Amino acid sequence: MRGTSTLRIAWRNLWRSRRRTALALAAIGLSVMLVLAYDAILRAYGDWMLETITGPMLGHVQVHAPGWRKDRAMDRTLRDVSRTVEALRRDPHVEGASARLYAPALAALAEEGFAIVVVGVDPPAESGPQRLLAGVEAPLRHGQVFMGRALAELMHAHKGDTVALVGQGADGSLANDLFTVAAVIETPVDLVNRQGIIMDLGAAQELFSMPGEAHEIIVRARDPARLPETVAAVRGVSGLHGAEVLDWQTLAPEMLSLVQLVRVVGVFALILVFIAAAAGVANTMLMATFERTHEFGMLLALGTGPGRIVRLIVTESIVLGMLGAFLGAALGIGLVALTHQSGIDFAALTGRGPSAVSFAGLRFSLRFHPSLALVDVAQVAGAAIVTSIIASIWPAVRAARLQPAQALRE
Amino acid sequence: MTTLFALARCAALLSALLVLRPAAVMPQKPPDVDALLGRVDDLYRSKSSIARIEILVSNPRTTRSMRLRAWTRGEEEVLVVIEAPPREQGTATLRVGQNLWNYLPRIARTIRVPPSAMLGSWMGTDFTNDDLVKESSLRRDFASRIARRSDAPPGWWIAMDVKPGVVGRWARIELLVSDEMLPVEERHYDRKGRLARTMRFDEVRTLGGRRVPAHLVLTPADVEGQRTEMRYLELQFDVRMPDDTFSLSRLEQKR
Repeated sequence: MRGTSTLRIAWRNLWRSRRRTALALAAIGLSVMLVLAYDAILRAYGDWMLETITGPMLGHVQVHAPGWRKDRAMDRTLRDVSRTVEALRRDPHVEGASARLYAPALAALAEEGFAIVVVGVDPPAESGPQRLLAGVEAPLRHGQVFMGRALAELMHAHKGDTVALVGQGADGSLANDLFTVAAVIETPVDLVNRQGIIMDLGAAQELFSMPGEAHEIIVRARDPARLPETVAAVRGVSGLHGAEVLDWQTLAPEMLSLVQLVRVVGVFALILVFIAAAAGVANTMLMATFERTHEFGMLLALGTGPGRIVRLIVTESIVLGMLGAFLGAALGIGLVALTHQSGIDFAALTGRGPSAVSFAGLRFSLRFHPSLALVDVAQVAGAAIVTSIIASIWPAVRAARLQPAQALRE
Repeated sequence: MTTLFALARCAALLSALLVLRPAAVMPQKPPDVDALLGRVDDLYRSKSSIARIEILVSNPRTTRSMRLRAWTRGEEEVLVVIEAPPREQGTATLRVGQNLWNYLPRIARTIRVPPSAMLGSWMGTDFTNDDLVKESSLRRDFASRIARRSDAPPGWWIAMDVKPGVVGRWARIELLVSDEMLPVEERHYDRKGRLARTMRFDEVRTLGGRRVPAHLVLTPADVEGQRTEMRYLELQFDVRMPDDTFSLSRLEQKR
C-alpha cells in the first residue's frame, strides 16, 4: 500500500518539474544510445574482420591430405572430393564447402614465361560478398581462366588473350595446355591478384592429371563461434578419414592475434565510453537531487520519516532510469537498424581515400555493417538504470539526515 | 639439368687427370684444387658431348621414368630432348648462357623460364632449372679448397664456400673426388648451413672412351623417400655438331 503511494508520489514529482525530468531523461537516453552505437560498431568491426579474414581464402575449417601443407606436393591429394563436399554440405554445422586445387606453373602469352599458381575452384561456391570471386560476373567455361589483375599487368595480358600454362601433373607428368583469359579479376587476396590464374576445378583436375582429386576443402561454419564443434563434425564426415582437419585459428595464428588485438583495443575504448556516459548520468542525478534539499527539509519538517524520503528519491530514479534507458535503447536500435543494411562507408568519411586497404595480404573493404545483440541492449540499459539509482542514493541519504531547519535554509 | 651438371664436373676431372698423370699424384699430398675441380667439371662434357640418359624419379607414392638425349657444347650450351615416355616425347629444354627455354610440342610453344621459376623442378625431377644454368658459374661464385683426406674410398674432400655478395641457394658445396679423379659424392648445404641434398656417383664404366660414373643419385635431405636417379646409357665426346644446334629454331624442330 505504502509502496504504491510512494510510486504515485514519485511519478507526480517527476511531472512537477518537467525541465529537470527532461534533462535527466536526455542525459540517460543519450548515454545509452551512445554506448549502444559504439557497441554496434565494435561488433560490426569484429564480424567484418573475421569475414574478411576467413571469407575469400581461408574459410573457417580446412581439410588437406597429411603433409600437403608442408611440401605442397602435387600428389598429396584428397580423393573423390565431389562426394565429400556433398556430404559436408549436408552437415548441419556446415554452411558451405568447396574444393580447391593448387598447382605452381609457368604462364606465357608469347615466349616469356611467368611463375604463377593455378587455383582450381568451384566458381559458384566461391562467388558472393567477401568470397574469392566476389564481384566477378563473367562465367568460367571449359578452356577459360581468370587472371589476377597485377599478374595480368605484369604479363601485359588482356581479356580474350590465349595463355599457355605449363606445370607438373600429380603423376609427375608434364601438364601443358592453352587457355583463354575470360576476365582479368581483382580478388580480396593479394597473392591471387599477383600470381593467380583461376580455373574451373574440373578443368584443373584434367590438366594436372588429378581425376576427382583436390588439395584442399574449405568449410564455412554455420556458427563461426562454434569452431571446435564444426571441426569435429568435419572429421566425422565419411571420406575424410585420415585427412588433416584444422580451423582457421590454427592455420593462421597471426590473423587470430590480429583479431584479438583489435578486440582488446575496442573493449578498452568501450569501457572509456561507458565511464563517460555513466559520469554524465551520475552528474545529472546528483545535481537534480541536491537541488531539492530545500524541498526535502520541508517534508522532514512536516513529519515525513527519513526512510520515506530515501525511498521516494530512489523510486524516482528507478522510473527515470527505466524511461531514459528505454528511450536510449529505442534510439540506439533505430540508428543501428538504419545503417545495418547499407553499412557505414568509412571510405566516404575519410574523404577521397581508398575504398579498401590492404593488410597482411588481404583486401579489407572500408564498409561495415553495425549490428547489435539483445544481450548488449539489456546490459547497457541495466547499467544506465543502476548508475542513476546509485547516483541519487547518496544525496538522498544526506538530505534525509539533515535537521529540517538546516535543510530549509539551504 | 644436372645431368649435364654432373657431366661437366666429371669432364673437368678427366682433363686434370691427363695433365697431372695419376702416377704423379702422391695420395697423401693434396692435389691442386683448381685443377681437380676443372677436371671434374669437364668429365661428362669435354668440348662437346652427346648423351643418352635415363632418369628415374621416385617418391614413396610413385615412380616415373624418362629417357632423354642431351647435347652440350662448351660450358654455356645445353640441349635436352625427352624421348620417352610418349606423352612427353619431343619436349625439350635449351640453355644458352643464363637463359633457359622449354619447348612444348603438344601446344607448340617455346617458353622462357623466368628467374623466379629457376628454383622450380626441372621436368618433375629433383633437379631444379637452376642446376642447368648455374653449373658454369660454380667456380666463379665459390672459393674452393682441399678440405680433408678421405679413406674410404681414397680421395679428397673439396670444400666450396660461396663468396661474399653472391646471391644463390647454396652456402657450401662439398665434393668427394676419388684418387681416380672421379666424383664420388657431392653435398649441398643451404644458406642456413643445413644439408639440403646429396648426390652420389657410382657404377664407373667406360663411356665414350672415358672412365666415368654412369649412375647418379640425387637425394633431397628434407623429403623422406624422394630421389632422382640418372644413368648414362651412351656418351660421346668432342662430336662435331651443326652450329645452330643450340638455337630456338632448332629447339622447335628437335624430335
